[in-house]
Amino acid sequence: MRRPAPMGEACLAPTGPNMTRTSTILLLAIALLAPALSAKEELVTLPPRDSVQLTIYNSEDLTLVREKRTLSFKQGDNRLQFSWSNTLIDPTSVEFRPVEDKDGNLEVSETSYPPESHEMLIWTISCKKEGAYKAEISYFTSGISWSAEYHGIVSDDEAAMDLTGFVTVHNHSGEDYEGASVRLVVGVIHMVERVIDLAQPGHRPKDAPAEDPGLDSQDLRNLAEGLEADSAENGMSRPKEIDKSGLSEYYIYTVEGTETVPNNWSKRLRSFTIAGIPMKTVYHFEPQKFGPLFTKVLEFKNDEEHKLGKEPLPDGVIRLYRSSKDGALSWMGALASKYIAKNDEVKINVGPDPEVTMKEKRKSYRKSDLTFERNGNTRWIAGWTDIEEFEIEIKNFRGRAVEIEIHRSAYGDFDFASNDTFTAEDFQTRKFTFSLAAGNTKKLAFTVTTRQGSNAKK
Amino acid sequence: MKYRIFFSMFGAAGIAAVLSLMSPTPAQARIKLATLPARDKVSVRFDHPTAVLVEEERTISLQKDVNMVDFSWAGTTIDKGSIVFRPVKADSKVVILSTSYPPGENALTWAVYAPAAGSEAFRISYLMGNIQRETSYTALVSKDESTCTLRHNFTIRNWSGEAFDAADFITREGKRFEKAMTNGEAKKVLVNKWDGVKLKKEYVYDTTRHSEGKVLTDYVMMNARDSGLGQIPLEFGKVRIYQDDGKGTTAFTGEDWGKFTPIGDELRLNIGIAQDIKIELKKMVNDRENVRGNVFDTNEVDEYEVKNFKDTAATVVFVVRVQGEWAMQNDSAGFEKFERMDNETIKFWVPAPAKGTPVKLKFHYKRLNNW
Repeated sequence: MRRPAPMGEACLAPTGPNMTRTSTILLLAIALLAPALSAKEELVTLPPRDSVQLTIYNSEDLTLVREKRTLSFKQGDNRLQFSWSNTLIDPTSVEFRPVEDKDGNLEVSETSYPPESHEMLIWTISCKKEGAYKAEISYFTSGISWSAEYHGIVSDDEAAMDLTGFVTVHNHSGEDYEGASVRLVVGVIHMVERVIDLAQPGHRPKDAPAEDPGLDSQDLRNLAEGLEADSAENGMSRPKEIDKSGLSEYYIYTVEGTETVPNNWSKRLRSFTIAGIPMKTVYHFEPQKFGPLFTKVLEFKNDEEHKLGKEPLPDGVIRLYRSSKDGALSWMGALASKYIAKNDEVKINVGPDPEVTMKEKRKSYRKSDLTFERNGNTRWIAGWTDIEEFEIEIKNFRGRAVEIEIHRSAYGDFDFASNDTFTAEDFQTRKFTFSLAAGNTKKLAFTVTTRQGSNAKK
Repeated sequence: MKYRIFFSMFGAAGIAAVLSLMSPTPAQARIKLATLPARDKVSVRFDHPTAVLVEEERTISLQKDVNMVDFSWAGTTIDKGSIVFRPVKADSKVVILSTSYPPGENALTWAVYAPAAGSEAFRISYLMGNIQRETSYTALVSKDESTCTLRHNFTIRNWSGEAFDAADFITREGKRFEKAMTNGEAKKVLVNKWDGVKLKKEYVYDTTRHSEGKVLTDYVMMNARDSGLGQIPLEFGKVRIYQDDGKGTTAFTGEDWGKFTPIGDELRLNIGIAQDIKIELKKMVNDRENVRGNVFDTNEVDEYEVKNFKDTAATVVFVVRVQGEWAMQNDSAGFEKFERMDNETIKFWVPAPAKGTPVKLKFHYKRLNNW
């Protein structure tokens, strides 16, 4: 299964407990600086990775891979070759950085991209003192992503919800990552070029991930052992913890321990579970936010009062179930949620509810204040005023009181009048809010007077 | 008697050759033969923003009187009209008499007068195509986002068809490094590194930069000495930004194109969206007034509700545009300061308290329709 790498026979596949799957190989070799590139075959060291860390972004198809290796350098210029195949690495992103080299013994004097391969580079590293050094190699890769999902179990009376958050890592990078520490970045970073374009300029490689031949039986056995080892390590009889911390405008979720994510596999981990989040049900008619239908919205806040507020909730799919008294679940629906900051409101639109209805009627329409303009012997209508009376009827067929919010817009130079209490949302929208007891009906009446044509002053 | 010396550059093969021949034959009967004086020096200059100038020095044996020196090339893109041929020594007695361009060939011939036989060093300069340069930067921002270490990389991609065994590559700002490069090869070198560069973080609301009205996070640094820079103009290039996470490692926090930044100017880099700051715009008043026939003024109030859900207070810079003739009204409120940048653009600095406490920016203005 091990595919030859561009370096040919001179390159040895790395070995070790946390090496990559063999179909895609990262190769590393050191040679003393030779006078010509033809000396690349003087390979003396091929060290395994000491560790690997994945930092996966959800706003972009981007993962920052960091691997640490211990490398031996001789005094003088050393040539370090790094090559890969069948992975989606951005060659411009590959960096070498000495770690714990306080005396500054190592310095990258140049990075060379040989003409014969897009998937290779050679660092020339000057070393002041011969010895073994820890180094970090980092690069951007495409094809690994993560997403957030939520399962909400709403109580029968819709007064509370048990919410479980998950994060799922999807690996289609062409590379297996075994024993990797995983960090997930919540936030929208700015990118000026796509990594996948940089990884394969102009074309996809012949062995793109979608065409990956898959794992052979030994690979599967090895990976299964790796997966078991992951779950067995630290005596894991509980879900892994996910540490969350802020950095600049982002949050970084760090998964406890290490994970193995083979190519084309996905892995879901529980991020949090909060039981009994208090919430309320509000019925909205608010076309700008929730569409043209009268819709039911479950509302709570991402704050301490609602047992949340420790971190933002990343955008993701929310799947809602209702818990009945006998413990069975019924499906309420699924929807995409946007990013919810700490202390921000959460409004989950679960769609129209036939048990709470809204109907609007235009009760009357008349014109007044007609004004004319004379053109010769002819008079032409120039201005008039429309007077319209409306009624909105809301019926609550449910066995509990509900909250209602009606956002009603009018256009042009209008006056809005009603005996019911309303507030101005903006220059063309008025808002009614009220509670409606179980089984009750409420009628809102309002008049919209709109000056048209030359009558319009606004 | 005329002496003829031929140069030939066979770039595709990576060979530069000088051929010499003593012959009385005219230039159109050139025969390329004999000696190969190696280049003494080659430099590749990137000091022009787009063009690449190659300068090479060769020592040529000249006979007394007029010598014909042929220069030809193949497999490379040389701008024939750009070729400059001159002796290196300022007080040289050698005189370039003429330059002849044979038809249909990548070649030219110089007639060189030498008062006496001997060796003379010449410099040949020409514009060469298909050598690309790229500037890129890596910024490692401190945990508190007050400073960064800025690394300035210079990448050369050599598709010229020419190999350089050892050439001085000279960047626009005069940095010089000697490298060998084969045809098709690319090389990236670190040319500058500045530690402790001061930077300022700004939250910006500007719908011309983000049409959905999201708040952008910018880093702003001055290319000035007191900011830790100011040594050279910063070339246009991609800036990749990492931040120290305080746990011994870093996280990539975004990238942006850095514009060409002269000394004394500011470099603004967008790293992404500040999702924890939300802005909601409502137009509260939109009236016509002072109607005169079909001409009227407008009276408008735009209200921006700002919620900063971060744990710390922040200032949001609003960049707002109003077209035409207009005047801000005195009851505008909710800002620390404002500045009318130009006729169409006004900036407000709006303090936003932490933890989601809403504040409002009221922008009251009248569009005037004066004739």
